[in-house]
Amino acid sequence: MKLYDQIFDVVKQFKKLFSPGPVTNADVSGSITAEIFLIVSLVLSAILLRHVNVLLAGLVTFILAIVLISNIPLIPKFKIEQEDSLEKMIFYAVVTLSIIVVFMYWGGNLV
Amino acid sequence: MNELIPLMVIVPLIAALLISAFSKFNKVTKIFAFVVAICLPLIPLLSNYGLHYFGGYEPILDNVTSFVYHPAITYSFTFLQQIFIAMIGLLTFLVIFVYLTKYKEVSGPYLFLLFLGTAAVTAMLLTDDIFHMFVFFEILALAQVGIVAASSIDYSYEMALKYMILGSIGSPIMLLGIGFLLALTGSVNVTDIATAVHNGLVDATSPVFLTSLGLIFFGWLYASGLPPFHTIKSGIYSKAEPHGAALLQSFTVISMISIVLIMHRIYSTLPIFEVLIVFFSILAMILGVSMALTQTDFRRMIGFLAVGELGFIGLGIGLGTNYAITAGLFQALNEIIITALLFIGFGAIVNATNEVDTRKLGGLLAYHPKVSLMLLIAGLAMAGVPPLSGFQSKLMLVQASLNCGFPEISILAIMVSIATFVVFVKTFYVMFLRPKPKELEVEGKEVPRAMIFAMGILLILVIGLGLFPDVVVNGISSFVGGIL
Repeated sequence: MKLYDQIFDVVKQFKKLFSPGPVTNADVSGSITAEIFLIVSLVLSAILLRHVNVLLAGLVTFILAIVLISNIPLIPKFKIEQEDSLEKMIFYAVVTLSIIVVFMYWGGNLV
Repeated sequence: MNELIPLMVIVPLIAALLISAFSKFNKVTKIFAFVVAICLPLIPLLSNYGLHYFGGYEPILDNVTSFVYHPAITYSFTFLQQIFIAMIGLLTFLVIFVYLTKYKEVSGPYLFLLFLGTAAVTAMLLTDDIFHMFVFFEILALAQVGIVAASSIDYSYEMALKYMILGSIGSPIMLLGIGFLLALTGSVNVTDIATAVHNGLVDATSPVFLTSLGLIFFGWLYASGLPPFHTIKSGIYSKAEPHGAALLQSFTVISMISIVLIMHRIYSTLPIFEVLIVFFSILAMILGVSMALTQTDFRRMIGFLAVGELGFIGLGIGLGTNYAITAGLFQALNEIIITALLFIGFGAIVNATNEVDTRKLGGLLAYHPKVSLMLLIAGLAMAGVPPLSGFQSKLMLVQASLNCGFPEISILAIMVSIATFVVFVKTFYVMFLRPKPKELEVEGKEVPRAMIFAMGILLILVIGLGLFPDVVVNGISSFVGGIL
């Protein structure tokens, strides 16, 4: 019942996502689709790790699935992180640049 | 006629300067812009394939190493360049046609930016010189900022400024990477650099070479609007005039493929290069489509979908086989056409309703049946519904990832297509099929004929490429065979 209640609560939380303004059935169904799509696609992408190590892929997929499902609704959180705030855009740009350069410079043996 | 190769860049560049200088003569400016816009798709179709060396400096054979060096900036014109430059020319023509018919008094600076952007992407496609490519990449970024800032939509200035600030991070980083390559190889010619790398003159695992890949790759992420730049990219599309957004997205696609093809020639020996492209492409697909599903502003929705579609292009190139890269480039061509059609079509709806919030729209099928039908077909094409062009390229991508041993990517690609389909079904329902809200005023507001004309031309291409994909796929495949 706990998971059911959690999923039901997701729909309520979508109201905040579309405020201000009315929330239509189409908006809620779109958001639920996005929620399911996000979880399934991220879990599916994690399976790609099998090309590195099968055990690692299994472990990461399992943990990722649990973390994602237990943290629903994800879409409001994702949307907040992807709003038009310059600070957040610059933050993610700098983080990405750092990861790429560190990985490329010191990861010579991995290439 | 190889003399026409440099003219593909020079004509829009000169036109941009002349229009800007003489914009106070409104009628003359209109006629001149229209004539130049007609010429743009014709020049690549009339030109012969070949190379053009600026200044007439032919390649030099080094008798010691037996390598050929290129002292001049070289333009290479093949089938791939022809088809993409012709398409960008056609799109520029349609956009300028829509713009000229919409306003009685045209803005010289705005036309200047449109032509400047077209010249920049054309040069990026043609050039074999990585620094030359960077210069036009910068010009393109400024033109894009100007096109967004010039629109009359609220907060367009703010979005343009944000894009410029992020560009001030992305562009210098890319230039630094090019500087590293120059330091390692002593050349900025892509063929010379690739020759040096593939013949062992440069250690491909050296930290400097790898860092150059990381830096140029980051610049490419900015140019393409892949994560972490997907938010700003979708933002600038939504804040530009609809016809401007149609051209902006094509600029993004062209700069994406021109830079990635250069990177592919230099770094293809490193497996990490393909892994990086596939990783960011998958991220773009997931984030783009999931964000599109939650949008209530339909311009923003198309912006996020366009970013998601970029992931398909990257996926094809990242998989790295002849078939996959061909599929990715074919997808790029389709995306240019389909997304332009969607931006112009939804722009027609904005024109008729002055509304962008899907929650306040409805019942438009009765008022604008032609536009709604064309938008429906364009949406289905983007979602990959047969027999439209999007279906052909996405099917090729699914087959390519299966052939490469990545069934997960195939499933993901199909899932993204289904989610895209859901976005369109939802949007089409709320905008066109459900009852019209009482507050919405649509009486007496017609969609400009120029917009219908532009959409019609693009729709013919969507259906034509869907029914006869081999017209372009065979030529692209031959080109890809040449670079692999």
